[in-house]
Amino acid sequence: MSPTLPFDLAAGWLEEHVVLPALYAVGLMNWEEVAFGWALFAVYGAAQVVLTYAVCVPLERWRPVERWPDARAVTVDILYTLISRVGLLPFITYVMFYRFQVTLNGWLTDNGFVPPTLEGFFPFLLGRPALTFLLYVVILDFSEYWRHRLSHVFDWWYSLHSLHHAQRQMTFWSDDRNHLLDDIIGFVWFMGVALLIGIPPLQFPLLVLLLRFIESLSHANARLRFGRLGERLVVSPRFHRAHHGLMAAGVASVNFGGVLPWWDMLFRTADFSHDYVPTGDPTAEEALATGSYAQQQWAGVRRLARTLTGREPHASAS
Amino acid sequence: MSLSFRRFLAAVLLGTLASAAAEAHGLVLVMNSAEASLSVVDMDTHRELSRIPVLREPHHWALSPDGRDLLVGDTVGNQLLDLDPATFALRRRVAVADPYQLGFSPDGKFLTVNGNGRNQVDIYDGATLGLVKRFPLRRTPSHLAYAPDSGRVFVTLQDSDQVAAIDLRTMTVLWDEKVGKVPAGIMWLNNRLIVALMGEDGLAVLDPASGQVERRIRTGAGAHQLFLSPDRKILWVNNRVAGTTVALDPTSLQEIRAYRVSGGPDDIVFAPDGKLWITQRFARSLAILDPATGQIETVAVGRQPHGIFMNPAADAATLSASN
Repeated sequence: MSPTLPFDLAAGWLEEHVVLPALYAVGLMNWEEVAFGWALFAVYGAAQVVLTYAVCVPLERWRPVERWPDARAVTVDILYTLISRVGLLPFITYVMFYRFQVTLNGWLTDNGFVPPTLEGFFPFLLGRPALTFLLYVVILDFSEYWRHRLSHVFDWWYSLHSLHHAQRQMTFWSDDRNHLLDDIIGFVWFMGVALLIGIPPLQFPLLVLLLRFIESLSHANARLRFGRLGERLVVSPRFHRAHHGLMAAGVASVNFGGVLPWWDMLFRTADFSHDYVPTGDPTAEEALATGSYAQQQWAGVRRLARTLTGREPHASAS
Repeated sequence: MSLSFRRFLAAVLLGTLASAAAEAHGLVLVMNSAEASLSVVDMDTHRELSRIPVLREPHHWALSPDGRDLLVGDTVGNQLLDLDPATFALRRRVAVADPYQLGFSPDGKFLTVNGNGRNQVDIYDGATLGLVKRFPLRRTPSHLAYAPDSGRVFVTLQDSDQVAAIDLRTMTVLWDEKVGKVPAGIMWLNNRLIVALMGEDGLAVLDPASGQVERRIRTGAGAHQLFLSPDRKILWVNNRVAGTTVALDPTSLQEIRAYRVSGGPDDIVFAPDGKLWITQRFARSLAILDPATGQIETVAVGRQPHGIFMNPAADAATLSASN
């Protein structure tokens, strides 16, 4: 049996019994095909949340780095996760990416160019989905390393990204805690690279699930290291915690890698020396750390405005 | 017992008798649109034999009039895959922008390709596959049907609730008319156009000269695709939202019988034994419907199966030697 079968059947059930009748009732049946894309994203997103919860909660209880008498600041991170993985965001990004890909690649085809795909560059990949996916992962993770690193280089960009760093109670829920504008930049960045290598959005859902799990796990409030070799193969909670450390907020940060620490090692931004440092961004106003979802978003806009008008201090390490 | 139902039973019985004489053999090719693959299914064992990788998103197919080339459109991959219809071996890839629904004109002169995502209808030379003319048609060209004399092709425009008629002799748009919500499948039948309305609960019957709606037929919520049985005695309609496959009398368009087919029934092919093989878009499977008994057997295939091609003469041994 295909390992994706239960997810696909759940998405099919959602589409058939919930989404389609709703679209039909409100006269939006022209969305039925893309809606199935959302249903798949939503099911895999929900599976990501369940898997991450099932693994990370016991870990965080068993070996926590920190214990907080009041963990209310974590609640808003749960909302970020649900919006990012199950709700509207996957649908919008999927629809936008899909439409743009069809338009651009069709135009290229019309003009005598073969739209770029990884399988086009390396034809032996066709029919080898696991190997193809691993190559996609390496390329996209490399691209994400540079996006993330640049978000710490430019003050205006960090003023948005600081929302992610402001959390002093970092848990596995914190992975998706981002400013919407930062998410949009991230999406455009991803889309540019994905179009260059022709990534198929729905071809490898199970492996995407695994990668998102690693990213969430890396934010866990857990004393977990993968050993000397393991930490150099996959980003661990200890490795990524150094990136979120108080001393590393802003431009002087380290350990930018999302899944693979290789890029940090290659470009000399890796730091394996720190042990479970306190997290947060001392340069961020309190609303970015403990505000509601709306307050955090608005505080991000305010910080961006201050940066653009020269009223925000340089976001270096405090 | 109504006359239509007696004719229906007779047709089913004939199909069953024919199958007793010549039991179904052959292969079925299924386009797994969300898994970048084609499933090859054995018609005898009803098992998936192999999966052929393609680049991105295969949806529909067209068989050349001489029966020698099976073209499968890889929509996001911007390719037509030219396959051997007997073995499904890939002969060549042809770069074509956004090939969604496609079909050769009855005289074989043209191949029409609907660019669903790019709002265009391309008319290609049927022999050379060179582009003859592009028609930008908003929005979302979906399914197509030809007039029997190959002089016109009719295209449903899903997102603008229209059908457009293109004159293939003058290469001009004759008309584009509103016909109802979200038109999908379209067929020329008895000098009329029959259109499945996915945003409504049935079919619209159009005058092909003007595109005016003459009558509406209720079949079920989300009518999506329609197929005429090989003996031309039953018009089959798949209703996506209702989850039904409905048999209609092709002359009166009256319902004969409705079957419950879950999982988003989409395309149909007809087996020599009288059974219908139906892709279930949301269930990763095919439904094999026996219209005589109403029983359904399912066959597991890839994610989001859409188009389906059947070759009862194809042989599994040839397949394993060629793919």
